[in-house]
Amino acid sequence: MAQDDINHFLKDVHWLMDILQNIDVGLVVLDREYQVCLWNQFMQNHSGKAPEHVLGQSLFDVFPQLPQEWFCRKAEPAFVLQSAAFTTWEQRPYLFHFPHYRPITGSAEFMYQNSTIIPLLNTHAEVSHICLILYDVTDTAISKITQTETNNRLEDLSRIDHLTQLFNRGYWESCLEQEFKRFDRYHIPCTLIMFDIDHFKRVNDTHGHSVGDDVIRVISQCLKEEMRETDVAGRYGGEEFCVILTATDSDGGLEFAERLRNRVENQRIMAQNEIRVTISLGVCELNESIENTQTWIKRADQALYHSKNRGRNQSTQN
Amino acid sequence: MTTKLLNEDQRDCLQEIANVAMGQSADRLARLLDVFVVLSIPTVGILTRNDIAMALQSLQQSNTEVTHGLTGVCQGFIGGGIAGEALLIFNGTNYHDLATLLRYQQSEGIKNELLMDTTNVLGGACLHSLAKQLDTHFSLGPPTLLNGNPDLASSLQERETGWSEALVIEINYSIEDHKVNCDLLLVISENCIDGLLEKLNYLLE
Repeated sequence: MAQDDINHFLKDVHWLMDILQNIDVGLVVLDREYQVCLWNQFMQNHSGKAPEHVLGQSLFDVFPQLPQEWFCRKAEPAFVLQSAAFTTWEQRPYLFHFPHYRPITGSAEFMYQNSTIIPLLNTHAEVSHICLILYDVTDTAISKITQTETNNRLEDLSRIDHLTQLFNRGYWESCLEQEFKRFDRYHIPCTLIMFDIDHFKRVNDTHGHSVGDDVIRVISQCLKEEMRETDVAGRYGGEEFCVILTATDSDGGLEFAERLRNRVENQRIMAQNEIRVTISLGVCELNESIENTQTWIKRADQALYHSKNRGRNQSTQN
Repeated sequence: MTTKLLNEDQRDCLQEIANVAMGQSADRLARLLDVFVVLSIPTVGILTRNDIAMALQSLQQSNTEVTHGLTGVCQGFIGGGIAGEALLIFNGTNYHDLATLLRYQQSEGIKNELLMDTTNVLGGACLHSLAKQLDTHFSLGPPTLLNGNPDLASSLQERETGWSEALVIEINYSIEDHKVNCDLLLVISENCIDGLLEKLNYLLE
């Protein structure tokens, strides 16, 4: 090789080495036994391990936290099939536990990492080594996680009644619509209960609104304790509540109503003196004659008024 | 099908290439999992944005009732004057079956692992075969999980995309005697297709 060519070649290698050392991604070359053959600056700085402590060692000995079985499962296809493999922070937040290092704007405890594993061919076109490329995706991960959390919170806020933590009327009505459609398709019995607190205005007038709120809260709690996971409860209006009992017929609905009525009747609500309240309920099982959800609610309401007219603190089927 | 983007010969040639890519990637999957992969013929077509949105919606609807939106992985590819996106959409897949096939001991909470493992094998193999036949090499971007993204189809219809038609190669993979089924969609928009046409013309000469 002419002197010029050698100089040229050396310069290229020198440049490439500089780039490998300074590039802001982690580069690790591993042989068939997963022994480290290259450990760039990024890896040195973030792990705090100098090349002389890592090179020639098994990656799993140097980083016992890295799950060997999992990593080999991802890396084997690169050796065997000569294809690249990818891992994302969504499946495993990190491969190497690198503490997050930005004191002011950092918001994570550790570096989230994506990685790519690529096969490296030797002169016989066989895969003798693989290269692990490690990307710092902390910012992306944090913003995605925050966004998901915010969306979930907004969704909850738009569905939940603040005072009772039951569903609000709007969301509950859309659930009722769903159940109505489901009945159309599968004909599994479904029962609606509407109920309200007897003489609630009197509670408010005598004890004040904050006690009134306590009463509403206590009754919501009774409802939550009584209902099953598949039932859908909401606050329909001021002191009016509603609950959809899935896979329940009218008699089952009446049983539920009576249990709830009893529970409420036996509650002692502490204010300056002890208060007791009762509720009146209306039960209506969905059937073919009910053409829409408004009618369904109206039927349950009619039963509720019947309970009121007969002296309150009772349940009526319609 | 409108074939303004692709003439009849170019389409046939691409169909041939897609068939081979399907065969090679299915072979790889079969070897890795030690199962029979049901071979189907890929469809090659020019679709509008609306068509693609509708296709995505239909894949979403055939998902089980439990998951909302699309389940799958998307990955960009670029090289040789061709650029596009590969979408691997799982529908009607039993993840317990898939976990067993990939030899995981348990199947709880590892859905993302399963999706990524399948993508690494399938997407990579298929694109590798396509690129090789076209005498080029694709760089693959990092795969992103779609995890029930319900807005993908509608945002495709609403967003300004800079293209209105795209070449879509759709390949279905299903595995005999298992409830494992996924569609690989390779989408190359009209503004990124020139390199492909050049390569096809070269092969046709």
